[in-house]
Amino acid sequence: MLAHGRTRLLTHKFLWRRQAHAVRAPLEDARWPGWELVVGIEVHAQIKSRRKLFSEALSSDLTTPPNTHVVPFDAAFPGTLPRLNPKCVELGVRTAIALNAEVQHRSAFDRKHYFYADLPSGYQITQQYAPIARNGCLALEREGISVRVKQVQLEQDTGKSTFLPRNRITAIDLNRAGMPLMEIVSEPDMRSPEEAGSYVRTLQALLRSVGSSDGNMEQGSLRCDVNVSVNRKGEPPGTRCEIKNLNSVKFMMVAIACEAFRQISLLERGLPVPQETRGFNEERAETYSLRSKEDAPDYRYMPDPNIPPLLIDSTFIDAIRQHMPELPDATRGRLLAQGLSQRDVEVLMDVDSGREVGFDGQLGHGAVAYFDDVARGRDPKVVVNWITHELLGQLAFRDETFKENPMSVAQMGDLIDLVQTGKVTGTSGKTILRHILTNRTADSPSKIADDLKLLAATDDGASLEKWCQEAIAALPEQADVVRRGNLKVVNKIMGHVMKTSRGTAKAQDVRAMLLKLLS
Amino acid sequence: MLSLVRQRTSCSNPSSFVFSRKVSFQTVNAVINALTSQAASSLPAASTSSLHGLRLAIKDNICTKNLPTTCSSKILENFKSPFDATVVSLLTANGAEIVGKANCDEFGMGSLNIHSAHGPVVNPFGVKVASGEVVERRSAGGSSGGSAAAVAANLCDAALGTDTGGSVRLPASYCGVVGLKPSYGIISRWGVVSFADSLDCVGVLARDVRTVRRVHDILAVYDSRDPTAAPSGVREKASQLLTSHFEHVQGDSLNGLRVGVPQEYFPTELQQSVVTPVRRILEQLRARGATLVPVSLPSTPYALSAYYVISSAEASSNLARYDGIEYGTRVEPPPGADLVKTANVYAHTRSLGFGKEVQRRMLLGTYALSADAFENYFLQAQRVRKLIKADFDRVFCVPNALASSPSAPADGVHVLLHPSAIETAPKLRGPDDATDAQSSTLDAYLQDVMTVPASLAGLPAMSVPGGQGADGWPIGVSVVGQWGCDELVMRVGEVIESCREDA
Repeated sequence: MLAHGRTRLLTHKFLWRRQAHAVRAPLEDARWPGWELVVGIEVHAQIKSRRKLFSEALSSDLTTPPNTHVVPFDAAFPGTLPRLNPKCVELGVRTAIALNAEVQHRSAFDRKHYFYADLPSGYQITQQYAPIARNGCLALEREGISVRVKQVQLEQDTGKSTFLPRNRITAIDLNRAGMPLMEIVSEPDMRSPEEAGSYVRTLQALLRSVGSSDGNMEQGSLRCDVNVSVNRKGEPPGTRCEIKNLNSVKFMMVAIACEAFRQISLLERGLPVPQETRGFNEERAETYSLRSKEDAPDYRYMPDPNIPPLLIDSTFIDAIRQHMPELPDATRGRLLAQGLSQRDVEVLMDVDSGREVGFDGQLGHGAVAYFDDVARGRDPKVVVNWITHELLGQLAFRDETFKENPMSVAQMGDLIDLVQTGKVTGTSGKTILRHILTNRTADSPSKIADDLKLLAATDDGASLEKWCQEAIAALPEQADVVRRGNLKVVNKIMGHVMKTSRGTAKAQDVRAMLLKLLS
Repeated sequence: MLSLVRQRTSCSNPSSFVFSRKVSFQTVNAVINALTSQAASSLPAASTSSLHGLRLAIKDNICTKNLPTTCSSKILENFKSPFDATVVSLLTANGAEIVGKANCDEFGMGSLNIHSAHGPVVNPFGVKVASGEVVERRSAGGSSGGSAAAVAANLCDAALGTDTGGSVRLPASYCGVVGLKPSYGIISRWGVVSFADSLDCVGVLARDVRTVRRVHDILAVYDSRDPTAAPSGVREKASQLLTSHFEHVQGDSLNGLRVGVPQEYFPTELQQSVVTPVRRILEQLRARGATLVPVSLPSTPYALSAYYVISSAEASSNLARYDGIEYGTRVEPPPGADLVKTANVYAHTRSLGFGKEVQRRMLLGTYALSADAFENYFLQAQRVRKLIKADFDRVFCVPNALASSPSAPADGVHVLLHPSAIETAPKLRGPDDATDAQSSTLDAYLQDVMTVPASLAGLPAMSVPGGQGADGWPIGVSVVGQWGCDELVMRVGEVIESCREDA
């Protein structure tokens, strides 16, 4: 839809060929035997900053009324000048560090010119010639590969234009105009739609973990353009096509597969693959031509004469490096080292990835941080059980997300302590947890246990003995069977005791007491 | 209401006008076409304000909240900026009175102020204001022609212009007033409508250097809204570098001052009648103790081409925003027009809204930035620009404060001096001079040959009235200093002023 193309696509063909084969051994794919697929991805991630890249206007979300977060600069009023938002630079550097990229001590901004109604100044400010970072990489753990990141550049987002068919006019909303983007350009290191999907998901998690972007594809804060080419095994990569504006990982993977089939079918018929920019029709699951190489616009890149070069010294980079949030791989490693199971770690991190990303790099409090706080001074394995099985289970049952969890770290800690010290039984603990979720109370679990009379009896076994004798009296036949040596039947009598004690009796103690009384 | 009595001690030209109190502000303006809009009288500011009582005109490409900002373009015909430029806020905050907006070449593109939606500015020097009779219709120079003419005709005490390649100095020279283009980055550009950002400077015009300084000193402050503003540290460094290389000019004595005379600034196009008064001024400076040093700035011949490539390239980019959507004139595409490509929709607005000269420069700039031409035009011009800067750094004894490791020749000069223009004010042709033939375009560009090198290097340069040419019309001499040496340039300008009064 937009006239965003990449001249890079037209000029770096040879580089593409050389690099594509230097890295990976061919991968046999049952979908296209004998063929190899090469994929590179450009991700545009909106930086989660409170203000725009070059103006003081606030950033917006989907609920912001149109054209309310706009200052004269965003509407390209004459006489306005850009002022670089240092928070965006900081988050760009954080991202670069997370990608193991080399932060450039000197980068610069350029103007990319084209006419489009949602681009009020007639140019987009980007980093064509000197990006903020180069030569990074992103490891895909499951696939066991590392995708090289060619560069990270800062640039402005455009406004939004919506065609209103009824009035036959195009409405323009400049809330998004001038929002900061990071363009993260990969090398053509992926060999399947699945690897491409994994790359984008891993990148999303990384951006969220460092707080630079919420990486939300549905809401458009992360968009992908993919470059796809195919070649027969052993031959150099073919001509690539770029598929633009893909806004979900699922559709991106489908688009890549469709494009691979299309290119293979052309080549098998002896036809060349023309180099072009293509769109993707999600309903028909096919790509379609947007423009050919010949129609590629000339963006007339020019260094922006208003913005001095961005100079970043080592001190600045080191300061950011020292305060870097933990990256997903490190978190995983740390949790596993605490004795958590692979599955528990995955559940925790999966929930964690849905956490809120704060403005200007403030880190949200997600499931991992919740776990870390509760586990301080407690058995991590016990804590993770309570969180993943009981808390998350109950939230899921109520159709609530972790964000809506009303149970504080202190409440969870208190609850676990009550159970661990035997003051309440596990069963009672679960009751207390449900009570908190239902009533959204801030009361401490100790108080709740007291109120609900869930505290385990502390009369040195007097209550227990009483409950047991009552049970034996109530179930004389079963008691006889047990007396005769059939210990299985003791469970029946235990159930009676549990009922009378309303769960406050510990099963083990009940069993021991019954056996003592019936021996 | 206005004091229109004007003293011209050094001017005996019979055609020069004599203002009388009887002539109204409006009559004068109707003849010279200097102001395009006028402010309603404002309340008098506190008399303690530093610019109290000073009346200023503002070039129409500088944003004002209360007056239109048209840039002399049809495309901004009815445009009113939602904010005041920093320079305007500073002036009013310091008690100055804004009398109106000054005519100019469209978006500052032109050297004769004939490319204006408001029509050409007539040089007041050829107008007998007592009768309103135009004795000789000549150009006021451009692009800040309205600013210079308003000052010359005493419609105001001072005026703000903008200078991208000579647009303050050239009209100052033609109209016989003082025009200062400060060092690039010293005066805020926030609210100044961009023509070529890397060259644009706000300049000050007045009838004497003292008034120019008064205004300049108020405006020369750091503004965080201008990303190209020189930070305070750099300003201090420049002033330290200057004081460590030159003690203050003492009174009218120029002992110890070395004045460079660049040989390249006396080209064949230069009228002999312009050279003579410049020579006279040089002699007078020597008489006051200055040492005259012939210097060479060998890259000068390439400056004009480099200037037109860079300024046009930046202009083509800066003017892309005038598309008739958010503000400004809009021409609806006719029924049945191709609406598929955005550019085709804009074309209707832009073809009608921009004048011929602006269109010419945008086309030139667009070409210079195109993939095929970028290397040979834009990048080549940037290389030339570096050479021009290096030329200046080689002749000044004051090091450039913007350089990473400032160094300068000990025997270098403190300032350069050369004619401001190759001739006196050119004649205006017909009543509507915007129609002038294409053949004159190149001549018009040549007007800038003396002024563009200082613009490319971002140096302070001031044109001071230097006497008359053979035709009796004013000529200006330019003083150029190292970056940040604006005060020294003004001091030398003041001495030249006093030389003229002595003569």
